[in-house]
Amino acid sequence: MSATKPSVGYHTIWVWLMILLAIGVALLAAPVSKTVAVILIFSVASVKAFLVLRHYMHVRHQPLMVYVMLAVPLLLAIALAIVLMPDIAFR
Amino acid sequence: MQAAAEPLHGHGHGEELSWWRKYVFSVDHKMIGKQYMSLSLFMMLIGGLTALLIRWELAWPETPVPGFGWVPEPTMFEGVVPPEFYNALITMHGTIMVFFVAMPFLLGAFGNFLIPLMVGAPDMAFPRLNMMSFWTIFTASLVLLAGFFVPGGAAAAGWTGYAPLSADPQYTGVNWGINLWLIALAMEFASFLMGGVNFMTTAINMRAPGLSLMRLPLLVWTQVTAAVLFLLSVGPLVGGAIMLLFDRTIGTSFFLPARGGDALLWQHLFWFFGHPEVYVVMLPGFGIILEIFPVFTRKPIFGYKAIVYSIIATGILSFLVWAHHMFVSGIDPRLATPFSVTTILISVPFAIMVFSMVASFRGGAISYPTPMLFAVGALGTFLIGGVTGIFLGSATVDIFLHGTYFVVAHFHYTLFPSVLFGGLAGVYFWFPKMFGRMMNETLGKIHFWITFFSFNCVFIPLFFAGVAGNMRRVYNPVQYDFLKHLAGIHQFATYAAIVLLAGQIPFIINFFWSLFAGKRATDNPWKANTLEWATSSPPPHGNFEKVPTVYRDPYEYSLPGATEDYLPQYAPTPAARGV
Amino acid sequence: MSSAGVAEHSHADSTEFTGQPLGKIGVWWFLASEIMVFGGLIGSYILSRIAAGGWAAERAHVNTTIAIINTIVLVTSSFTVVKAHAAAEADDRSKARQFMLYTVILGCMFLCFKGYEYSREIEHGLTPASGLFWSFYYTMTGLHGLHVLVGIIINFSLFIAAGGAAWPHIKHRFEYAGLYWHFVDVVWIFLFPLLYLA
Repeated sequence: MSATKPSVGYHTIWVWLMILLAIGVALLAAPVSKTVAVILIFSVASVKAFLVLRHYMHVRHQPLMVYVMLAVPLLLAIALAIVLMPDIAFR
Repeated sequence: MQAAAEPLHGHGHGEELSWWRKYVFSVDHKMIGKQYMSLSLFMMLIGGLTALLIRWELAWPETPVPGFGWVPEPTMFEGVVPPEFYNALITMHGTIMVFFVAMPFLLGAFGNFLIPLMVGAPDMAFPRLNMMSFWTIFTASLVLLAGFFVPGGAAAAGWTGYAPLSADPQYTGVNWGINLWLIALAMEFASFLMGGVNFMTTAINMRAPGLSLMRLPLLVWTQVTAAVLFLLSVGPLVGGAIMLLFDRTIGTSFFLPARGGDALLWQHLFWFFGHPEVYVVMLPGFGIILEIFPVFTRKPIFGYKAIVYSIIATGILSFLVWAHHMFVSGIDPRLATPFSVTTILISVPFAIMVFSMVASFRGGAISYPTPMLFAVGALGTFLIGGVTGIFLGSATVDIFLHGTYFVVAHFHYTLFPSVLFGGLAGVYFWFPKMFGRMMNETLGKIHFWITFFSFNCVFIPLFFAGVAGNMRRVYNPVQYDFLKHLAGIHQFATYAAIVLLAGQIPFIINFFWSLFAGKRATDNPWKANTLEWATSSPPPHGNFEKVPTVYRDPYEYSLPGATEDYLPQYAPTPAARGV
Repeated sequence: MSSAGVAEHSHADSTEFTGQPLGKIGVWWFLASEIMVFGGLIGSYILSRIAAGGWAAERAHVNTTIAIINTIVLVTSSFTVVKAHAAAEADDRSKARQFMLYTVILGCMFLCFKGYEYSREIEHGLTPASGLFWSFYYTMTGLHGLHVLVGIIINFSLFIAAGGAAWPHIKHRFEYAGLYWHFVDVVWIFLFPLLYLA
């Protein structure tokens, strides 16, 4: 089934997740514009999510079907938000 | 527990179960399918009654409806429908018919009953989850109908529940009715999410050996696609329903402009689901008639692959058209053209499917038992529905037609063919497999002709009423001078509606009579090819004595050189039989 | 190819056209639907926030400290649940149960901190009726919290059941429970910056 001996230890990933959490919080006080801060903070969150997906949920060892099952709703939800922008965000 | 010599399937589990475990809390997909069918047919009666009251009010406004004098005030006033109850009627009619009839009938009943059989599986992937899905929608039905009995009455903001009307109880005067409506819908969504997981996992993973995707019966393709569409589209509306419920109960501001919210957001969230939802209803209806055509033309369906790709294309496109319901709602005008384009585009795969079905008739040895009559009726009436949808899909034309009876007639010409003609075709066709008995042909033909004729008489006039300016959801339209001339049309439609409702009586009689006294059915009374006909009628618990092997495509009828005009998927190649 | 249509209706070894167990495919489908639920809600939040101009004044009142603690708690619980899964795969029943119990405890801690956070906010008069930002805040964290609660119940049930005779039949479910729990964690990984940071 899934990997029992992961290439990178679960502990290591946990440490990285904590580090990324610290970076994300620190960005609040960073001397950058608000827009840049928002982009960076969400990049950090995306990396954290990616680590959980890849190393804890073992997505890389799942069949292609699972990638599709995750990617399609994600892209669809993002597409919905984009199409709604003129109506909801920029009334 | 199991004797050592038990066969792998049909292991007589039925005799060991108590009445409750066998008929009520069953995990067998066949019983669950029948439970869904019973629930949906019962809800169809209730929905039909709401329709009767609506049509009476439209034809003879503010006059008492015969037989309804017992309804207490303030719901009705000695048989007269007041405006408030009219709003509740049209709301509950739509909600009941879409969510508690169409979906449980087409998906819950036929999907559950047929998918494991057609793929050669002993049951669904998750039988207990399946059982839970039925009891969830059963409970949801009770919650919904309870709305009729609470102070303020049933939900009355339209089946679309637009905000801000629906978001503040003060605007409708209905408090618990709409709250219960939201809870019932949320439960129904949960029920079909559970069911959908079963459909998809079973069709993907539990197919018999040899059953590749391109050998799947088209019904399975449509059911699974419908399940995927539902799964992907309902999420935002689940969020939206929670948001609306909170607006109504705990003072949040999501959809109330007065509190800083955006009413249009509700419409977007609703229709993002609402449009794929109509394909969730349409596709299984098509799936049923696609199974029936080859059997009664005795030739393969024309363009199997084209139909499969059209089903998938319809599914994908269905996510890109939703704002055509909102052309006059105040959306950004720049959205109008893209959505018009996608809406016109979606008629292409639909047309491919229709043309393929029509082409399937050419050169066939066609017979017209009742299932075939309903299937052909579905095709013809759906064509009218599809074509009238094109008018509505153009934003400029929609400005005049939105919210009129043209829309009402259009969607009845798409929903009714799918649910009623398609669903009834399915009942007549698979009744032998479900219950081991044949239905009466004469009663069936009477049922078809009355239903077909009266249905068209109800709704064709409504296209004209709509073009004449008759708005939807209006209590007593003929009170307005410019609509007075439509009184005759409304009365004609109501007479036809009464005939339509009465015309279901032969079906009810036929159904129950045949259950007990119909001619016993053989394994394969229609001489069809798909896997469900490989086992007994009805199938035993576990479905198949041993797992069938699939040797060929599902529609190999009238093969040149074959001894019979059908060659089942599960029959070994004739040469191997030494013929 | 055999198909186990027998007593338990357990299809763990039934015909697997794709080579994947049914339960795993089922859980991934379910998570796909959940992505749409939270995606719709989060998308609506982002759009409403843009329309409202950022809600900086409202967001000054959220308790970032508690949220940071909760993030640490939830991420750690993701770690413990994957350890539980790995132990279950290695057939180490006691270790699997131990780590599942840690996951349950951490989940409960999350809910306790969240409850405390809610009570502080309500004391200050910040309720769901306090405006659109707070409407979203309570709804999103509330729905997420509900998912955490359901996850705790699932995890705890598994912890209990694994102590009994059913262990060989249910140890593969540690993976499925873990997948759901990780999903709940990933949702929080995005909710946290959306509501508390950016």
